Amino acid sequence: MSNTVLVANALKKSYLSGDRTLDVLRGVDLTVYEGQTLSIRGESGSGKSTLLHLLAGLDSQDAGTISWGTHTDPSLVRKSGYLGMVFQAFYLIPELTARENVLMAKRIQGSLDKAAFLRADMLLSKVGLTERSHHLPSQLSGGECQRVAVARSLMNFPKLIVADEPTGNLDEQTGDAVITLLLDLCRDMKTSLILVTHNPNHASRTERKLILKQGILTEI
Amino acid sequence: MPWYLYLALKQLFSSGQRLFFTVISTVSVALGVMLLIVVMSVMGGFRYEIRQKIVDTQGDLQVRASGFIQDSKAVEKLINTIPGVEASSSFAQGVVMLEKDQKPSFPSIQGLDMRSVGKVIPLNRYIIQGSLQDLDDDAVILSSQLALSLGARVGDLVQIYTPLMLEVAKGQDEVLLPTELKVIGIFEIGHQQLDSSTVIVTLRRMQQLYGLGQGVHGINVRISPNQDADQVTQRINDVLEKEAPKLVPYTPGLRARSWSELNQEFLWVLQLEKNIMTVILLAVVIVAAFLTMSLLLVLVLKKTREIGLLNALGATRRQIALCFCFQGVSIGIVGTIFGLVLGFTFLHFRNDVVLLITRFTGSQAVLERFYQFSEMPAHTAFSDLVIIVVSAIVLSTLAGLIPAFIAARLKPVEALRNE
Repeated sequence: MSNTVLVANALKKSYLSGDRTLDVLRGVDLTVYEGQTLSIRGESGSGKSTLLHLLAGLDSQDAGTISWGTHTDPSLVRKSGYLGMVFQAFYLIPELTARENVLMAKRIQGSLDKAAFLRADMLLSKVGLTERSHHLPSQLSGGECQRVAVARSLMNFPKLIVADEPTGNLDEQTGDAVITLLLDLCRDMKTSLILVTHNPNHASRTERKLILKQGILTEI
Repeated sequence: MPWYLYLALKQLFSSGQRLFFTVISTVSVALGVMLLIVVMSVMGGFRYEIRQKIVDTQGDLQVRASGFIQDSKAVEKLINTIPGVEASSSFAQGVVMLEKDQKPSFPSIQGLDMRSVGKVIPLNRYIIQGSLQDLDDDAVILSSQLALSLGARVGDLVQIYTPLMLEVAKGQDEVLLPTELKVIGIFEIGHQQLDSSTVIVTLRRMQQLYGLGQGVHGINVRISPNQDADQVTQRINDVLEKEAPKLVPYTPGLRARSWSELNQEFLWVLQLEKNIMTVILLAVVIVAAFLTMSLLLVLVLKKTREIGLLNALGATRRQIALCFCFQGVSIGIVGTIFGLVLGFTFLHFRNDVVLLITRFTGSQAVLERFYQFSEMPAHTAFSDLVIIVVSAIVLSTLAGLIPAFIAARLKPVEALRNE
């Protein structure tokens, strides 16, 4: 058995809606192993994004535990570069070029060295954007922006990438290309992937398929 | 360079709309700083020029008594031994009627001791025609505008009537003849009041005109370079307090007063004006700071999801706050530098600007008469410069703090969900 990169136990999360309490997650257990790819599907409002935010250390659970390898503190795990993230809306910084956006992930971790520039160039080459590396996000198409976001997520040699509906803003063909790229890169770099998606085709391409229904995560 | 400084600079100087906002904020700060520099320098210039004129015409301090100083030589000898005193020179002053070709004028008159005046008052610097060395008991030097209004030139004769003549004439049937003096020089100090109506004669002639005998009205004192006028004044007063009672004849009320004490009220008004203008103009910088703050607040709102992303990438709240705070500081620093450049450039060309304005409004003569100076003075005190620079940068930093605080408080997940 490979090493685990993420272990979540009995995660619970609820929100107040007016005077009602919505139990979005009712005890989610999940273990992700090194190099493993898995998808999470579910209906709109089922809590997929909430779960992903917890797994990415961006939000705190009401109950349960999460550990990322040896880390248990979400802010430390974010700072360590252990996690890479891809969002539906790309979230590229508009004032920075594609290359600078990729490098920003490394800048926040610390100072840049020559190896960082080489890795950024290599990643941009892998996502097929070498020629566009000095373009601003406003000069790139949606698919190109998402490819830059994929390259950025891999910049710090993460153990795990969490991707929240990365094709949600893309047409089908471009979305397929981005998912292919993401899966290929994760396999090449032995990086685990949690992919939240609505698209059953995209979900079917991961090693494990899970569904979130009524706050419970189940393997299909 | 830390990422938050790098990103702040990138955001400040990115192209398009954002650059426009940056330029507007920076220009606002620059204009505020420029106005402060110009106004404080010009007001400081008035004070500096007035000090210079006072010191050049009266010395750094004056010693006067309640009445006349009868034995001025003894007092001068006493003063000259005090540390910090470079030289002293007696004077007498008053008002006379001056006439040339039946054109009368009523200038103030200064009688100067020609043996020592050169060491105390640099009058030579202001003589524009003739020579101070030619001044003897039968000669007079006129101020430039007085000479112009009387039509007097070097070599002409003028008649002087003094109040003493009126005293003598009381109850007598004598016909009084004025004293006739030869104009041997014309001076121009650049101070409207002094240039319009002053005449200079020797001390001996002045003593004759006013019937002072050996008495003088006061003693001008020059202090050594780098000495403080008020401190030297205090030293002189300490000595006079001890030694003056021993003088024969007794001279009551003998006391030294520095140039700033002599002109205390005028200088106080100048300082008050300067302080009020500083407060009013600081409001311009405060408005600029509010503009910067509102622009940064808009930026924070627009960048909410990016702030969430930065959080997700591992940025700390402190670093995110620094990113926005640094933008306020940068606008403050760049605006201040531009403001200083604009301000000093304006000051360099201030006389041309004033000339241009007065040419359009036809008010040059009025300006000279009202402001007493032929050129607009400017003197930038280092302390004023420090106050302006620190105020502008501190206010801009404060303007960046509120948006920075708001940005730092955003929770990553809420920021990322923001639409």
